[in-house]
Amino acid sequence: MKEIPWGVRMRMLLRSFSVQGSWNYETLVGAGFAFTILPALRYLYGTGDERFESAVARHSELFNSHPYFATVAVGAVSRLEADAAEPIVIQRFKTALRGSLGSMGDRLFWSTWRPMSMLLALALFLAGAAWWIAVVTFLLVYNTLHLLVRVRGLRMGTESGLQVGRMLREAPLQTVIDQASRAACLLVGIAIVLWGAPYFSDPVAGLLMGAAILFGFSVGLRTRRLLITIMAGITALALAYGIIANGA
Amino acid sequence: MPIDPLTVLFLTLLGGAVAVDGTSFGQFMISRPFVAATIGGFMVGAPFHGATIGLILEAFHLTVLPVGAARYPEGGPAAVAGGAVYGISDVTPSALLLTVLGALLLEWVGGETVRMMRHGNVKLISDDHGPRATARGLERRHLAAVGVDFLRGMFLVAAGMLLLRGVDLFMTPLWGFGEELPRLMIVAAVPALLASTLRMVGWRMWFAAAGAITGVSLLLLVG
Repeated sequence: MKEIPWGVRMRMLLRSFSVQGSWNYETLVGAGFAFTILPALRYLYGTGDERFESAVARHSELFNSHPYFATVAVGAVSRLEADAAEPIVIQRFKTALRGSLGSMGDRLFWSTWRPMSMLLALALFLAGAAWWIAVVTFLLVYNTLHLLVRVRGLRMGTESGLQVGRMLREAPLQTVIDQASRAACLLVGIAIVLWGAPYFSDPVAGLLMGAAILFGFSVGLRTRRLLITIMAGITALALAYGIIANGA
Repeated sequence: MPIDPLTVLFLTLLGGAVAVDGTSFGQFMISRPFVAATIGGFMVGAPFHGATIGLILEAFHLTVLPVGAARYPEGGPAAVAGGAVYGISDVTPSALLLTVLGALLLEWVGGETVRMMRHGNVKLISDDHGPRATARGLERRHLAAVGVDFLRGMFLVAAGMLLLRGVDLFMTPLWGFGEELPRLMIVAAVPALLASTLRMVGWRMWFAAAGAITGVSLLLLVG
């Protein structure tokens, strides 16, 4: 068994930031995965070795993962390569890993952590904080977990190899999702009130906002599409009326 | 007020940066509409107006999930263009509404260009994956794909600023229903969009209600 040195792991970590750089409809992040794991393959096999080119070819095949959790897969696979695992074992391991890393990342980052961090920034801005405080707060809060997952994920992968699935199950991801979900819901309430505050004395705006909130609650994720349609329709009417009125 | 050529150059470079941040490199979320529009506004000397339109575009973008191969609008470059153009416009509700709608159109165009680029990446990568893959070739093509994404973002912001400035100069004066209607449309749209995110983040109504009470308490405390 060969240990992967710190410098090689650091190069893989830096390359992992562009794991989706060549995202395509055929191999998804396959080429990005191979690009990220190349420093480990170069270290383990040397560039002239036939096993090196064979490993590059194997790892550029179809793969998918949430971009931040890709480091878990890259770390674990580089560990398996260092342990001289059979290519078929590595292939099956990658296949088993890719679905769970995708859904885990989607639930943690896209569905809860990112909206929560952004709602915090919007609430701060609406509460009167300077624009830069809101922006910096969002970037700091969001990227703290983002970078933690990338760094810890790579370490967990390189240390655990095939056991990474068990390590992921033991990680408190569901707790983070639950807490972020609660905070996001709380911040939705705060942001709506702060947005509406300047219009409390305007009964028309107040009624309209009340109806809009009920609309958003009941229609859910289709709200965006419906609102764009309604707003674009009214705008088209207003512009047509303006053209006719100006012409007349 | 026109934007000077150097600022236009910096804005297009910012467009490239937010385009690659969206998917290809980093994903530090400078590509979120609130961040991108604020920086866009800052570059033309109007960060507050950039943040204002950024907040509205962000509300529209909160429930957009970039999951797998789904087609989704691209918020970053459109927000840069929106923040910059709204920053130099006459800050009226109709100008804000038209810039928001123009930016939403641009988001859709951006999403389509992402789809086209991903089809292009199939061709770009096809000679260097599987049994034909070589390390050097793969690295070269992977980085070339990131470069194409950067150029795509630059183009989108340049074209987007032209489009939105055109909308601002030629369509805003044609608005026929007065300024109260666009003001009410925006005032109502944001809470509807914020409320709709509850479905995505967990639908915990008691927490949302507690948030509303906290918001009211904050207002009472601060006055």
